[in-house]
Amino acid sequence: MSDLRDVLVEIRWQLVRRRRALLGWAVALAAVAGIYVPFYPAMGGGELQSIVDTLPPELISALGYDRIGTPAGYLTSTVFGLLAPALLLVFGIGLGARTIAGEEEEGGLELAASAPVRRDVLLAGRIIAMHTQVFLLAVTTTVVTALLVRVVGMDVTLSGIVAAGLGLNLLVNAFATIALAVGAVTGRRAIAVAVGASIAVSSYIAHALSGVVERGDLLERLSPFSWYLAGDPVAQGVPIVGYVLLGTLTFVAWAAALTRFPRRDLGV
Amino acid sequence: MSTAVIAIDGLVKDYGDVRALDGVDLEVREGEIFGFIGPNGAGKSTTIRILLDLLRPTSGTVRVLGEDPRAGGPRLRARLGYLPGELDLDGTATARQLLEHLAQVRGGRGSDRIAPLAERFLLDLDRPVRTLSKGNKQKVGVVQALMHRPQLALLDEPTSGLDPLLQQEFLTLIREERDAGTSVFLSSHVLSEIEGVADRVALVRDGRIAVVDDVAALRAAAGQRLDVTFASDVPLAALDRVLAGVEELRIDGLRARGVWRGEPGPLIASLHGLPVARLELRDRDLEELVIDAYRADAPEGAGQP
Repeated sequence: MSDLRDVLVEIRWQLVRRRRALLGWAVALAAVAGIYVPFYPAMGGGELQSIVDTLPPELISALGYDRIGTPAGYLTSTVFGLLAPALLLVFGIGLGARTIAGEEEEGGLELAASAPVRRDVLLAGRIIAMHTQVFLLAVTTTVVTALLVRVVGMDVTLSGIVAAGLGLNLLVNAFATIALAVGAVTGRRAIAVAVGASIAVSSYIAHALSGVVERGDLLERLSPFSWYLAGDPVAQGVPIVGYVLLGTLTFVAWAAALTRFPRRDLGV
Repeated sequence: MSTAVIAIDGLVKDYGDVRALDGVDLEVREGEIFGFIGPNGAGKSTTIRILLDLLRPTSGTVRVLGEDPRAGGPRLRARLGYLPGELDLDGTATARQLLEHLAQVRGGRGSDRIAPLAERFLLDLDRPVRTLSKGNKQKVGVVQALMHRPQLALLDEPTSGLDPLLQQEFLTLIREERDAGTSVFLSSHVLSEIEGVADRVALVRDGRIAVVDDVAALRAAAGQRLDVTFASDVPLAALDRVLAGVEELRIDGLRARGVWRGEPGPLIASLHGLPVARLELRDRDLEELVIDAYRADAPEGAGQP
């Protein structure tokens, strides 16, 4: 089981060297929840709803503000559907692109890849370390949100918040793994960022438009953002099909990276 | 053949349309310090990175400690040490944390030598690696390449970034490691930096080995650049006799220049009695050696890619 040992050594190392950055991101995500959740009583459910009602219905739908007057809708529109995924995707796609391709371009991968560790083992250790970091940040977001919801007395179930936090984790891990896989296949950080970010952005737009355009259900079926949010996890709990699809996307990205990375030239 | 730690035969490596290695043949013996000399872009790093399985050959065979690098995998790399030519260390981890991690990857081997080697090279282990100067990063690289007492150390431009004092310390260390059983393969674009330590050297140019020899023989074959100026006119007959053995002779007024091969004694003796105002005999630099060797190797001189 020395491969398992090698994986654990690599995970530990990646977490040690990234811990300071990780702490900074955790503070930022806690701040997102800390800024939005306490505002709900002040904005008041009905008051916010009446402001939103003055907007054109297509715009309301595109912004995801359909249910902003409800506590669950408010959390979805602010924390879980907008700012937390935006921040976490910047983190995850950036980390994914840097993990292999970025370090390869800068020469930092030389020591790791020339060490007595199989390349697929090295890659697995790094992907799992990335998943761990995304998970810790999703947990931070979820826990801070749940605490503040309790403090301000919003009518949202804990299970709904956990379901949304789980979806956030799955969504970000999918895109982060795509970016990492593109980097592991191409060795080019810029391509990894571009592919990861453009799929994420177009998926967000597709989700936003799905309630507005004709045949929006098609967009909803294709967009990972919809897999995460269309089922309204804060109010309705885990949308099983959507979350399985997000997990599948991550799995496919893993497979692509593991297929190509061990076989190609590094640092060319 | 069993004593070759590196055996390369007909190694070709293409990057797309660019041929980086064009049929490299090389054998490095167990227990020697072997210098791999050539200008930047000649293929030194490419060769070393193939030995570590970071790159895969286009064609040709490679054996490292008797094994194919790809087939040997981690088991083979556990017996190697590597200093990358372009060492990039970043992150907030300290040099100690990085080196301890690299020892962990090797099952803890080398951990006990981190402190003594760092002390020897005046390396501060408690600073974050990204704040280290280029020279200090290079020290980290040297320590991690040698700390686990590999059977074969592959060092790409090890002396770059080290000041002259530390270069000397490094060369002393290399000798000690060799005496303790490590074979050493090191590259440089400056022959003078490693000629005091290398048993044999290969000159590489344009992806080919131009010549392999021991350093003294190479120096002798390369000869020295002669530059002599006379105080007054010398009879042509006397000059002809004195400078008969000088190649590429150019006479320019009172000054004569050329290439002298062999011991300088006879030349100096023959100049005795002549009005010499100024005399210089200087080792030719590397680039000249390589060009010479390359000409000899490929007399057609047709443009290689």
